[in-house]
Amino acid sequence: MIDATTQLAGAGGSGPSVPVVELIGITKRFGGIVACDQVDLTLYRSRIHGILGENGAGKSTLMKVLIGLVLPDAGSIRIDGRPCTIHDPLAAAELGIAMVHQHFSLVDQLTVWENVALGEAGRLKSAGVRDRVAAISRQYGLEVDPDAQVGSLTAGLRQRVEIIKCLRRDPHILVFDEPTSVLTPEESEQLFDTLREVVAAEERAVVLVSHKLDEVLHATDEITIMRQGRIVDRRPTQEADVRSLARAMVGREVSLRSERAAFGLAEIEEADREPDGGGEDRQSAETTKSDEPALRIEGVMVKGRGGARLLDDISLDLGAGEIVGVAGVEGNGQRTLGDLLSSLVPLDAGRVVVNGEGVSTGSPGAMAKAGVAVIPEDRHDSGVVLDMTVAENLLMVDPHRAARHGVMDKRTVTGIAQQMIDEFDIGCSGPDAPLWSLSGGNQQRVVLARELAAEPDVLVAAQPTRGLDVGAIEYMTDRLRQTAIGGVAVLLISSELEEILELADRIVVMSRGRVVGELSRAEATLETLGLLMGGSAA
Amino acid sequence: MLYALSVAVALALSSVIVEATGGDWWPVVEALVDGSIKAPGRWGETLGVAAPLLLVALGTVISAKAGLINIGQEGQLLVGAAVAVYFSFLIGGPGPLNVVVLLLFGALGGAVWASLAGLLRFWRGVPEVLSTLLLVFVATQAVGYGLKWQWLLLADEASRGNRNLVSEQLATDNRIPRPDVFGNEFPVTAYVALALALAVAYVLARTVWGFRLRMLGHNPRAAQRSGVSSTTYGATALAIGGAFAGLAGAAMLAGGGFSFGNYRLVPGFSDNIGWTGLLVALMARERALPAVVAAFVFAGLRTGAGFVNSTGVESRITDVVQGLLVLALLVPPAVIFLRDRRRARAAATERV
Repeated sequence: MIDATTQLAGAGGSGPSVPVVELIGITKRFGGIVACDQVDLTLYRSRIHGILGENGAGKSTLMKVLIGLVLPDAGSIRIDGRPCTIHDPLAAAELGIAMVHQHFSLVDQLTVWENVALGEAGRLKSAGVRDRVAAISRQYGLEVDPDAQVGSLTAGLRQRVEIIKCLRRDPHILVFDEPTSVLTPEESEQLFDTLREVVAAEERAVVLVSHKLDEVLHATDEITIMRQGRIVDRRPTQEADVRSLARAMVGREVSLRSERAAFGLAEIEEADREPDGGGEDRQSAETTKSDEPALRIEGVMVKGRGGARLLDDISLDLGAGEIVGVAGVEGNGQRTLGDLLSSLVPLDAGRVVVNGEGVSTGSPGAMAKAGVAVIPEDRHDSGVVLDMTVAENLLMVDPHRAARHGVMDKRTVTGIAQQMIDEFDIGCSGPDAPLWSLSGGNQQRVVLARELAAEPDVLVAAQPTRGLDVGAIEYMTDRLRQTAIGGVAVLLISSELEEILELADRIVVMSRGRVVGELSRAEATLETLGLLMGGSAA
Repeated sequence: MLYALSVAVALALSSVIVEATGGDWWPVVEALVDGSIKAPGRWGETLGVAAPLLLVALGTVISAKAGLINIGQEGQLLVGAAVAVYFSFLIGGPGPLNVVVLLLFGALGGAVWASLAGLLRFWRGVPEVLSTLLLVFVATQAVGYGLKWQWLLLADEASRGNRNLVSEQLATDNRIPRPDVFGNEFPVTAYVALALALAVAYVLARTVWGFRLRMLGHNPRAAQRSGVSSTTYGATALAIGGAFAGLAGAAMLAGGGFSFGNYRLVPGFSDNIGWTGLLVALMARERALPAVVAAFVFAGLRTGAGFVNSTGVESRITDVVQGLLVLALLVPPAVIFLRDRRRARAAATERV
């Protein structure tokens, strides 16, 4: 297989002007939805091609066509000028096409080199694979220990493993699907450096699928913008700017305030962060605050398997109407903190007090009953039940609302659900639509609607905008702000610093399961936070 | 459609096998149809078999909805029957009332047996797939032991004659009535089973309890967060599953009919009804109402097979035919399951 790819790479290597991949008139329907509508795309050697679009714009589908996960209904594919059909990922691999997936496809229980070797045919030679992993690591600056267990790695390191896995097959076309959604800013930076190198030195073609504008602007040579399954614009990156790209992508003007967070723009001017209209409202909410904090976390410790301290002596007070941001590089206890407040893990020490009353953490539904609502980090993990209907998902926490004597009334269920669907503008075919038929943004709205419907005193929002498109991020950000104004204490756990800086009144930084710093919004800048996150100024 | 195709393939294969081994194919088909529904009194017989199958399947459906894989129905059924017969003779009492007592203790016996697996699961984390299965063998041995001792299950000498290992026979008025309907006789438990199927379907679809049980089965972490205790709900679901199997055992014991020990508990009494009930649930894809149809189909296969043996075709060959038909009934649900999952997955990844 490796022979075949090198041959191919050799055969087509005649400079950047020759297209490596041509997708012509690709059309793909899922039921009544047209995911791709007559899409053309041409990729060149030594170029990074950005594909920009909201969730559901069809960019992932297009890439799946390219790597053989989805068969198009119409259209043709040419690789190195030769027409071909790509029936499955194996065929794509033989043509030298590889993809780094948005969601990791790694096996947690295996080591790094084992994961890299996974899917190879023939006998497994551990020494050989290890050396190869090490060599690739060195060559591209993707440092990772070949013998580390993947489950113990941070998101950034896991992605490195994915990339190494990809590069090991020596593909000449590399597809990255939303690669930075789980990375810290520095990690993203590093990733793009690697990409540059891969492209410049080795004449590979790279596709970068993303909905982050700055990323596409910084890292690509050419940009294709997709909306609702069609290509709406295509231009060289030098001729593009944030505003025009945003317009093309969303198809409408986006409010300036959310734009910053939505597009993950790194350059936030100090002046912009002055309290604005929303701040005054919040001031008035603050005056009504009682002395009792809505949520008090006292000396909390949670041990993981093997006794590692996932949370170590965490103390945190959260007042009504206040938004406290929890910043930190992912994998430093944020997930456990979210789980703790979702009644999913018991405590090994300390206590959690909601409105003056201790909560027995870890017993089913205790936190929800105490008035803690949660938008979980991974909604598929504990936020929704994909195989149930929208209505059922909306009533998960409190089915008794729609029940009499333990029997749920169909009409009440539908009524309540429809009302929530309207209020939160959830895009679905109706209350009885299965949840998996909704887009990520709409699934997230279902979670938000349900959690807010419980009229909580505390709202925990963990990575609430991850993987959402611009419109959905804007909506979520506004909702969180309004919720706080309504007197709810909001704990915002996020690895997107811009998001935290935009929303939070107060910021705590977590590192290795501990709180390593606390800043008011006025004190906090990207630099100070970054230093704390990196553990430089504890 | 899928079923028709799959059964047709199985029939075609069977015909080839029967003809190739020197048998006659058409009489085999006729015997199957005659034995299951066509011959006088046969569909009543089939219903009599379908009732316990349906009960077992309903229990399986409930456990499965909670995300638990109970495959020990054969043992739960046997224990249910044993407990039922023991208490029936211990308590005595007038006929109809004793039948109710018998059925209740049957359900209780099955529930307790399944709860052993529940206890291991939620106290010690032993996978219920293993514990329920292994408890089948324990049950067989335990009931065998009980049948050796007169103070437990063994009948006294006068009534057992020269047989070993049989329980006392239920008195005529302690049996479940088998009224005659259009020349077919079957125990009234068939109606009870049908009513229970409706009840299970209703409870799962409409009640808060059923809702939360399904939530637990689909996503335990979301359920935990929403206040569904996996221990309480899971253990209850397992116990109910066992109760249904035990009830089936008691109903077989007191219902009489085709090969069910003639109102006595004997070794091997469960006669694969537990296993087959599991297949019924599988064919119904763990839904209560389709299980009604599936139970009748499997029961028909069983009663029909009795007639096939008299066609002169070698019994091993007819076993193969039966096996092929069972397989034909189980392939479509598996195909549908895989297709649905692939679709759901494609949709989920498409829309992330």
